Amino acid sequence: MKIIHCPLNGPRNISEFAYGGEVEAMPDPVSCSGDEWAEYIFMSDNPAGLVREWWLHVATAYWFIAERNTVTDEIIKTYPPSELYKQRIEFAKDID
Amino acid sequence: MAGANRLAEPHGLLIDRSRTIDFEFEGEAYQGFAGDTVASALAAHDAWLLSRSFKYHRPRGIFTMAGQDSNCMVTVNGDANVLGDVEKISPGLRVFGQNYKGSLRKDRRARIGRFSRFLPVGFYYKTFFKPKGAWEKRWAPIIRNIAGLGQIDTEAVPAYYDKQYKFCDLMIVGGGPAGLSAAKTAADAGAEVLLVDENEALGGALNYARFAVSSDAARDQRGEMVAALSAAQHVEVMTDAICNGWFSDNWLPVIKGRRLYKVRAREVVLCTGVLEQPAVFHNNDLPGVMLGSAAQRLIRLYAVRPGKRAVVLAGNNDGYAVALDLMDCGVEIAAVVELRDEPVYDDIAKAVRAKGVKVYEGHAVYRAISTSDKHHLKAVEIRQIVGQGQCGQSGERVSCDLLCMSVGYTPTYQLACQAGAKLGYEDNTAVFSISGLPESLHIAGSVNGMWDLQEVLRDGEQAARAALRRLGYEIKVPPKVVNSTVSPSFGWPIFSHPAGKEFVDYDEDLQLADIVNATREGYEDVQLVKRYSTVGMGPSQGRNSALATARLVAWATGRSVAQTGVSTARPPFAPERIAHNAGRSFYPERHTSMHHRHVEAGAQMLMAGAWWRPAYYGPSGERDRCMREESLNVRNNVGLVDVSTLGGLEVRGPDAGEFLNRMFTYAFTKQPVGRSRYVVMTNEHGVVIDDGVACRFHDEHYYVTATTGGVERVYQLMLRWKAQWRLEVDVTHVTAAWCGVNIAGPKSRQVLATLCEDVDLSAEAFPYMGVREGKVAGIPARLMRVGFVGELGYEVHVPQHYGERLWDAIMEAGAAEEIRPFGIETQRLLRLEKGHIIIGQDTDAMTHPAEVHLAWAIARKKPFFVGARSIAEIGKQPRKRKLAGFVVNDLDAPIPLESHLVLDGDKMTGRVTSCYFSPTVGKPIGLAFMTLEQAIPGSSVTIKSTGGVFVTAKVVELPFYDPENQRQDL
Amino acid sequence: MQPTDQPRRSMIYRLLLENGAEFETCQDSAVAMRYPGNAAEAEQSQSMGIADLSPLPRIGFKGKDTPLWLKQQGVQLPETPNRARKQSDNCLLLRLSDDEHVLLGDLTLRSTLVATLHQSWHFQPGQMCYLVPRADTHSWFCLSGKHTSDMLAKVCGVDLRLHKFGNGEIAQTSIARINGIVVRNDLGQIPAFYLLADSASADYLWPCLMDAMDEFSGSPIGLATLQSLIARAA
Repeated sequence: MKIIHCPLNGPRNISEFAYGGEVEAMPDPVSCSGDEWAEYIFMSDNPAGLVREWWLHVATAYWFIAERNTVTDEIIKTYPPSELYKQRIEFAKDID
Repeated sequence: MAGANRLAEPHGLLIDRSRTIDFEFEGEAYQGFAGDTVASALAAHDAWLLSRSFKYHRPRGIFTMAGQDSNCMVTVNGDANVLGDVEKISPGLRVFGQNYKGSLRKDRRARIGRFSRFLPVGFYYKTFFKPKGAWEKRWAPIIRNIAGLGQIDTEAVPAYYDKQYKFCDLMIVGGGPAGLSAAKTAADAGAEVLLVDENEALGGALNYARFAVSSDAARDQRGEMVAALSAAQHVEVMTDAICNGWFSDNWLPVIKGRRLYKVRAREVVLCTGVLEQPAVFHNNDLPGVMLGSAAQRLIRLYAVRPGKRAVVLAGNNDGYAVALDLMDCGVEIAAVVELRDEPVYDDIAKAVRAKGVKVYEGHAVYRAISTSDKHHLKAVEIRQIVGQGQCGQSGERVSCDLLCMSVGYTPTYQLACQAGAKLGYEDNTAVFSISGLPESLHIAGSVNGMWDLQEVLRDGEQAARAALRRLGYEIKVPPKVVNSTVSPSFGWPIFSHPAGKEFVDYDEDLQLADIVNATREGYEDVQLVKRYSTVGMGPSQGRNSALATARLVAWATGRSVAQTGVSTARPPFAPERIAHNAGRSFYPERHTSMHHRHVEAGAQMLMAGAWWRPAYYGPSGERDRCMREESLNVRNNVGLVDVSTLGGLEVRGPDAGEFLNRMFTYAFTKQPVGRSRYVVMTNEHGVVIDDGVACRFHDEHYYVTATTGGVERVYQLMLRWKAQWRLEVDVTHVTAAWCGVNIAGPKSRQVLATLCEDVDLSAEAFPYMGVREGKVAGIPARLMRVGFVGELGYEVHVPQHYGERLWDAIMEAGAAEEIRPFGIETQRLLRLEKGHIIIGQDTDAMTHPAEVHLAWAIARKKPFFVGARSIAEIGKQPRKRKLAGFVVNDLDAPIPLESHLVLDGDKMTGRVTSCYFSPTVGKPIGLAFMTLEQAIPGSSVTIKSTGGVFVTAKVVELPFYDPENQRQDL
Repeated sequence: MQPTDQPRRSMIYRLLLENGAEFETCQDSAVAMRYPGNAAEAEQSQSMGIADLSPLPRIGFKGKDTPLWLKQQGVQLPETPNRARKQSDNCLLLRLSDDEHVLLGDLTLRSTLVATLHQSWHFQPGQMCYLVPRADTHSWFCLSGKHTSDMLAKVCGVDLRLHKFGNGEIAQTSIARINGIVVRNDLGQIPAFYLLADSASADYLWPCLMDAMDEFSGSPIGLATLQSLIARAA
């Protein structure tokens, strides 16, 4: 069983975690085109190589980011999401 | 009587001659010593026939004497497929052979072997599938009756099996000389060592093999090493323990007795040794034909003489050590058949030759010849080797009752390969080599291609030091040990015979031609050969067949053995019981604090996720009556339902309202304090995934409920979005902290009023959708006016540990009004009458809000909520379906059930999501997805109900009950 | 007295009664003090015992202003998450993350810190320090004795051996497949672990633990026995 290093709880069996999908930037939900939105909603890059993924330590409901090599299944590093999301996000008012 | 074949001490490392044990085999009484295995105790009495083979019911006996084969699988006290060569006898043990009809000695199905020429490999695939259906109807029942390993005792009482985690710095798999050396090295350095060995006694080959002309050398060496280790600190030794696999990051399952240990080791050294391999020739499976190491194990471990007159088939010098051992215990050596043309003899071999034993150099055993009852070896035919696998035209017959095969080894590579190691093979050494291991996994000893004992010991130390260095110890790592000894593996100990029966795989009764023919049929890849022929699929998982198969496939396809390779060696390494995996699994269950009151009141309990919930109160056969009475009591009087399982989340902070605005479809920033609002959550695809209410207790504090099954997901999604948005908000999961009831019905206010001193329950002071904090029965409570079941009603939430007290207080207070509890089934009926949907039951993974009458719950003026853009895009598309209410007017028709189809002519257009007989409406009512045309109130649709009966349903406006909402607003 | 004499009840009071527990009042609840039928209770607390402390006071606080607020109340905080720190009156403060803390009352029932904090805390706009009802989210068990680590290895995948998991360390993990918080909190010389886990699962977890400790002859022990361990240590 694989070990994942949780930034809050340290090394734990992967059975303590849940996978949350790739980290993806949301396009502006008001101004982006339908195609851009569909790309964001339905498409995944699924590269062979380094990916950034959301993982959840279930017992503490703690989300973090893991950088993983999908070819070797090696987890390169893990860190809190605050290293990626540094600022408050606001959404533009709807135009209609 | 301990048996005519019993040898004197010092032989018999594992037996205790002071204790005799009586047991039964095939209904006959036998006696052995404590420490004997079934096979050794029987062998001591000259009983060699132990079981029969899986396919041809061939007589089988001791082969590896190490639990590595299926030849002596027996049934022990009703337990099938027990390895008779390692299973200890105990008083009264009842043992039977397997795979026979009648008796082991007179098997009525033994003749099936004669038809083997008509049962070639792939026979099943080719033969039984014509005509169509013949397999299921005709052949499968016959073959399933004949085939199979042993018999299952369907009356068996399950035993207690369990699991335990285990941790160590360094795990060493295999307690032979390399493992002992590695363990000692690591222990001296102070590391925490776990040494695991599948055998009863540490020592590995030191326990049974001969390493010098002197018989005692190995025993002395073993004694010293084991003593040194037992004096060491931080060393845990697990014997009789099988490490059955390697998984990521050194996670190794170890089975000992009835427990599965899940070991996590920082570093691992595999000292798994080698497996001696059989030669392939006609009748090589006869009882009396065994590996040289099997004979040595019988002698040294159990003090059993393996025969009276022996032939040794040698492809290496180890055969001479076997011969010397046999001679030491009085076995006559009729001949040593030496496969090698120009052998280089070591001291032991020279000692044997000096004793005048006849050695046939460059010869092979062409065939084994059985006694007239076919149960044992009587003689062998020796022929000269004239080419690879080719024998001369005639030979010499030598009578014997024992043939020991010492022709080579294969490393026990299974765990290493599971860790990603690659196997190499060189024709000049004729053994597999292992490379490409993960950094935290090391190998040492014979598995690493070391054959000289001193080199094996040094290799164990070297590997341990390498592991210790990685663990952070300041320790010198010497250069890798280089093997200096000639390989003990003979390249081609395979000799075909016109009559076949040269078994490559004993488990599956596969002969030489079966493997070669598989390649001729086009299955050239060893993986395909395995799947086509079943080679390596039996209980011993290719341990005795993979090498010969690789050689044969390589030869037949004109490739090298390295190119051919072996089929993947997946876990488990050794057969394991399903009980080891299933034993003591955990299935969490959740109880509300009122749980026991429901059980005491006779509720039928059902599971919702991990929660136990009351379905209805009354006998299980009277569901409809109970639901009718419970529902009418809510409509006309007052009922009480446990809603503790509802999810609860505290959302607090300056941005709490903004956060809810983003998470849910409706608008919350202007929601008044003291009021609740219905909340719908959609995912980014615009699909409805949960609902509940948000109660605002403070500008910066909302108490949000979620569905029983959905709250965990809602909570996790909230936290994930919170991490991205960086809002000033805190979300806390408090489902378990609060329990609650819904007291519902026209008399709910008056009942609650008797318990509630500090909250004004009047309609004016506490209107529909109002929320209050106060005390109920003296317990601090949150009160919410809700209308899920469509009557005047209050949810009362109190801290979990007060739940039973709350339940009792309300039931007491309502006794005069004939309050009665109602269950989840009744609640589902009541809300259906009111037209409320249940997320997950009346929605699916594609449902967007407008399909289920939730368009009103979407705030259009908000800048954003999760799912908003997708809902806007979906809104541009034509709608395809809608959830509509229906009634069935024909009271004799079978009531439709969930997932019954809605039809338009012969087209499927939707499905029923909920349907109950409504005592209030007086007929079955339900919800179903259907086309927009069908969903127009007044139209008729067809539902394919139970038994395929087509039922006409009439589409009606929702709700079915109280469309003006007068009841809940009282 | 009977546990049903009080409005607040441990989720497993029925199981404790079956085991022969004798209860005493603890605020508005009742705690299993001793097991008169078990002569070996004191020895078991040192080899393998389990006590239900769910009726005892505890409280949680969460939000980014929590550390500051707690310090203002005179509470001593551990330096890092997943550590516990004993307070001067023997309460134990658990730091679960940067901003989440739990305060466990002391086993002698003398400390009033939990009640004091409860009273001093008020919902204040803009102050992100929020009360978490830890007395109800979690049941509270105390596992004590030299076999505790081995027993926990049957239900938990974290290495909790005494030389690897020191006194005052916290593991938030899965125990018998439910989420829980394990805190090493030795009682004098006796190794002991607090286990805080989903209160709704207490009826499930208690028998799981009893089953796991069977091979170590473990049994339920009362609060009085734990108190005497503490008294002896002091």
